[in-house]
Amino acid sequence: MLSVLLCGVSIKDFNRSSKQINQNVLSLSLLQLVFVIVSFLSLVLSFVNSDFSNETVFNNSHTTKPLFYKISGTWGNHEGSLLLWLLVLTLFIFLFLIKSKTQPKKYRILTLLFQQIIIIGFFLFILMTSNPFNYLFPIPNEGLGLNPILQDPALAIHPPILYLGYVGTSIIFSSSLAAVTQNYVSKEWGQHIKKWVLVSWIFLSLGIMLGSIWAYYELGWGGFWFWDPVENVSLMPWLALTALLHCIVVLERRAALKSWVIILSITTFTLSMCGTFLVRSGILNSVHTFANDPARGIFILIFLFVLIVLSLGIFFIFHKENNKNLNNFFWLSRETSILINNWFMMYFLSVVLIGTVYPIFLDVISSEKISVGPPFYHKLIAPFLIPFLLFMSVGPRLKWVKSKVENKYSLILTFVVSVTLAFFIIKNLTADILFYTVLVSAAFFLFFTTLRELFIQKLNNTSQAIAHLGFSLLILSILFNSILSSEIITNMKVGEKYNYSKGEIFFKKIEERKESNFNSITAYFEVKDLKGRMVELKPEIRIYNQPIIVTSEADIKTTLLEDKFIVMNLVKGNEYFNIRYQVKPFMVWIWISVLLLSLGGAMGLFKTRT
Amino acid sequence: MKILKTFITLFLFMSFSQLHSNETNNILKNKILKNIRCLICQGQSVYDSESDFASSIKLIVDRKINEGLKEEYVYEFLREKYGDWIVYDPQLNKKTYILWLLPLLLFLFGGAIIYKKVIINKNNKT
Repeated sequence: MLSVLLCGVSIKDFNRSSKQINQNVLSLSLLQLVFVIVSFLSLVLSFVNSDFSNETVFNNSHTTKPLFYKISGTWGNHEGSLLLWLLVLTLFIFLFLIKSKTQPKKYRILTLLFQQIIIIGFFLFILMTSNPFNYLFPIPNEGLGLNPILQDPALAIHPPILYLGYVGTSIIFSSSLAAVTQNYVSKEWGQHIKKWVLVSWIFLSLGIMLGSIWAYYELGWGGFWFWDPVENVSLMPWLALTALLHCIVVLERRAALKSWVIILSITTFTLSMCGTFLVRSGILNSVHTFANDPARGIFILIFLFVLIVLSLGIFFIFHKENNKNLNNFFWLSRETSILINNWFMMYFLSVVLIGTVYPIFLDVISSEKISVGPPFYHKLIAPFLIPFLLFMSVGPRLKWVKSKVENKYSLILTFVVSVTLAFFIIKNLTADILFYTVLVSAAFFLFFTTLRELFIQKLNNTSQAIAHLGFSLLILSILFNSILSSEIITNMKVGEKYNYSKGEIFFKKIEERKESNFNSITAYFEVKDLKGRMVELKPEIRIYNQPIIVTSEADIKTTLLEDKFIVMNLVKGNEYFNIRYQVKPFMVWIWISVLLLSLGGAMGLFKTRT
Repeated sequence: MKILKTFITLFLFMSFSQLHSNETNNILKNKILKNIRCLICQGQSVYDSESDFASSIKLIVDRKINEGLKEEYVYEFLREKYGDWIVYDPQLNKKTYILWLLPLLLFLFGGAIIYKKVIINKNNKT
C-alpha cells in the first residue's frame, strides 16, 4: 500500500515533465486520482475489517464499533484525514481540468503545475510524518478505539465537507497564480473562477455549520460557537473567501480590483493551510484538538512558508499594474459598496486572526500567557456589525459605475419600522437597551430590505438576495438567542421535583442499558411550563468501553420557536445528578439561516452555468 | 391582625426580593464562569467543565459574589491568584496594546485606502 503512494509521487514528477501534451496530462491526472482513491479505499477497508496490523487502524478503531463509525473513523484521525485531504486535492484538480476546457491552454497547465506542487507537498508530508499505512508487528488483537465524542453522525460528515471547502481554495490559489503569470486576470477569468469560489464557499459554510451543530449537542453545554481557536481557524478562510466572492463580482463586471483579487486568493488558501498547521501542531489549546505532534507542525510550517514565498514572488514578478484610471470608483456605486464589504470583512478577519495568533506570539516572546476569549471578540466585532449591516442593506440596491439613491422614502420607512420594532421587542428584555436596539434594528433593516427585494421588486439577483436574507436571519437569531436564553443548573435525584419561576422539572426515573461499545444511563425528565404544557426529555450518560470515557448526551426538543435542552452529569460519590436545563429560543433558525446562505450561493452557481 | 398582615406582606416581599436577587446573582455568576478558563481542561471554560478544578472555582466565585464583590473584582482576584491565563477577557495594558489596537488601526487604514480611491476619482471628474 505504501508503494501505491510512492507510485502516485512518481506519476506526479512524470506529470510535470509531460506538460506539453494535453490529453496525456488529463489521463495522468486521472491516473493519479485513481491511485489516491485506491489508497484511500484500502484504508477505509482496513478500518471496516478492523485490520489491526495497520497502526492507524489500531490507534483509532475497535471491533465493537458500529460499521458507520468504523468508516467515519477513517478520517476521524490525523493520518486518514490527510489522505482525505489529498483525495480531495487530486479530485478537484481533475475536475478543474475537465471543466476548464474553454480556457487558454497555458493557463490550465500552469494551474495544474501549481496544484501539483501543493499535492507533492502533501504527499511528502504524509510519507514522512504521518503515513496511514504503517505496519504493526506483532498484530494486536484489539484496537484502542475512537474518541467517543467523535462517534456522531454530524461529525462523521463534517470533515469531508469542510475539506471540500478548504481544498477548493487551493484551486483558487493555483489558478490565480497561473492567471497572474499568464497575465490572464480578466473578466473571463473572473467569471470562470467564480464558480470555484462559490463551490468552496458553500462547502465551507456547510462544514462550519455541521461542526457547530455537533458542538451544540455533543459537547453538551448548549453553546454553538465558543470562539475557540480551532473554530476561529475555520472562520478565517470563510471571511476571506466571502470577501473574495464579492470582489470577484467586481472583477467580472468591471475588470477592476485585479491585484486585490489575487491577494485575497493567496490569503484564503494560506489561511486554510495555517488552519491545518495550527490544528495539527498542537500549539492551540482547544476542545477540538485531538491529535497532534510537533514534527508535523514544523513540516507544515516550512511548506507553508515555501508556498507563501513562492506565491508572493510570482505575484510581484509577474503582476503589472495597468490601466490605473479604470480602477477608480464613483463614491455612490455598487463597486464602492463592495469595497466597503471587503473593508469590514478584512477587519473581522484581522480581529479573529490577531485574537487567535497573538496569545501564541506573546507566549513565545515573553512567555506570558493570556487568554483571548468570547468577550474580546464580542467587544471588537459587535459594534462594527451595525454599520456593516446598514451598508449591506443599501449596497445591493446601488447600480454599477454610478448610481443615486432610489426609493428614498420606502427605505426610510423600512428603517423607521425596523427601529420601532427593535425597540419594542428589546425594551423589556435586557438591561443594555440602547446597544441592542441599534444592533437589532440594523439587522431588521437588512432583513426587511432584502425581503422586499426578493418579493416585491423581483430583481434578477435572487441568489444574492437569498444569501443576504440568510445572513440577516443569522444575525437576528444569534442575537435573540443570546438575549433570551435561560438556564437552570441544579442537583437532583430520582423522584425529585424542582420548581423555578417559569415552571417545574420532574426527575421521573433512570434506566440502564448495554450497547456493543458503551453502557448507558438514560434519565427521564418531565418539564412543565407555567401553562401546564409538558415535554419529556431523556438525557443520557454513556460510559464507553474503548477507550474508557464518560460522555453526556444532551436531549433536545426542537420547535420552530425554541429548543429545550437538557444535559446531566454524574456527581461523584452520591445519588444526585447535576442537571443543566436550558431554553434556547430560535436555535433552529441559526441552522436554517446558514442553509439559506448556502442555498443563495448554490443558486448563484446554477445561474452562472446557464 | 393588621400587624400580622403587614408582617406577612413584608415577609413575602422580602422573600420575593431575596429570590429576585438570587436569580440576578445566578445570572451574574454564570456570566463570570463563562469568562473563566478551566486551567486543567482543553479549552473549556469553568462553566462548561465538570472537573474538580472547575467545581472549586465555581465555589470560590459563588462565595465572592455573596460577599458582594463586583464582577471586575472577581476577575481581579482570580488574576492575582492564577495569572492572566485564567480570564478570557484580556485587559488593556502594555502587553495587549497590539492585540486590542491593531485591528482598529487596520480598520482605519483600510478606510483610508477606500477613501483615497473614491476621492481621487471625484477630483478627476470635476
